[in-house]
Amino acid sequence: MPADHDDETRDDTLRQAIAELRRPVALDPALEGRALARIRAGAPTHRIGSRRGLLWLGGALAAGIALALLVRPPTGSPARPGPTLATAGTQPTRAVLIRLAAPASSRVTVVGDFNDWDPAATPLRPVGDSGTWTVELHLKPGRYHYTFLIDGRRWASDPSGAPAAESDFGAPMSVLTVG
Amino acid sequence: MDSLPPAPVTAKGRVRSGVCRLSHAVVPGGLPRMSDSDAALVARTLGGDLEAYAALMTRYRDAFGRYAFHMLGNREDAQEALQDSFVRAYRALGSCREPERFGAWLFRIVVNRCRTVRRRILRHRRFDGDLTEDVPSKGARPDAFEWRDEIARALERLRPHYREAFLLRYVEELDYGEMARLTGVKEPALRMRVKRAGDQLRDLLRDVHAG
Repeated sequence: MPADHDDETRDDTLRQAIAELRRPVALDPALEGRALARIRAGAPTHRIGSRRGLLWLGGALAAGIALALLVRPPTGSPARPGPTLATAGTQPTRAVLIRLAAPASSRVTVVGDFNDWDPAATPLRPVGDSGTWTVELHLKPGRYHYTFLIDGRRWASDPSGAPAAESDFGAPMSVLTVG
Repeated sequence: MDSLPPAPVTAKGRVRSGVCRLSHAVVPGGLPRMSDSDAALVARTLGGDLEAYAALMTRYRDAFGRYAFHMLGNREDAQEALQDSFVRAYRALGSCREPERFGAWLFRIVVNRCRTVRRRILRHRRFDGDLTEDVPSKGARPDAFEWRDEIARALERLRPHYREAFLLRYVEELDYGEMARLTGVKEPALRMRVKRAGDQLRDLLRDVHAG
């Protein structure tokens, strides 16, 4: 146990749970062999194909739904001043404006790697009566998969965005790279 | 050893700068031994010896596999994450600036890989139409589960970054400084996560344990 004890270890239930969690876990003895085989073969690091069938939820969205995703320049850019997006010692973030034209919809959310794919975490807001929905995210540089959920039941990828390349994810997803 | 893949490329400038200890490491010959240091095995791997890399994998598979298993909640995903980590680490081995701390460097890759696989799992669950709880509520039939299963289910109910912090702290027994270096999260935040994870786990397990 590390030197700086915490209160948690004084609780009997937790202490027993921790002891259980520290027990060895049996792994496939051929695991290293398979890793070596991939190294020798120069195989890609992403597994292609998935044991989980991914339900195809794409389906074409109704005509008239257009979507745009705009990545603003970093804070301080003369293009458009924005709020302070980074504090000292942290990786700076960029403001990402997500916009979806989805008329006749009552609720739109975006889900992705940035919010643990939680459909309730990031709702878009309607812009007047225009049928357009927007939300601004502050994201660290990186690559994010994302998609949209309309009215809590209809998924939609970004038809104007970069499609997700990984074949095991299925089609209805897009990829955003924040540089 | 025929048909060897290209050895990982050593990070540019390391040898010139003299910072890298590999540049003057004494590399033993012969088959790798478990007593060989990480630095020696890394050096041999960089020299094209895949058996040395196999020894490194064997050295860390159990500890890191256990972490991946508890983090991801099932053996298949854990093994995939660990295998991917081994392959990625091999290809990036030249960027390991402290080969004597190869284990810590590899663990960081494993932690990140588990995060990625975890996100993929979440994606699949969302796309499969499960937009509610990831795990059935504990009111289902708690008495029907074994203690170990109940722990796994309780862990699964924690937010991923709580679970990550709890496992690193209490199962892998890292101190908060090591955890901060590994995760990039500041120590106060990690302490908070561990505390909340402990509180939630205790609440989730108390009834089962008492029964």
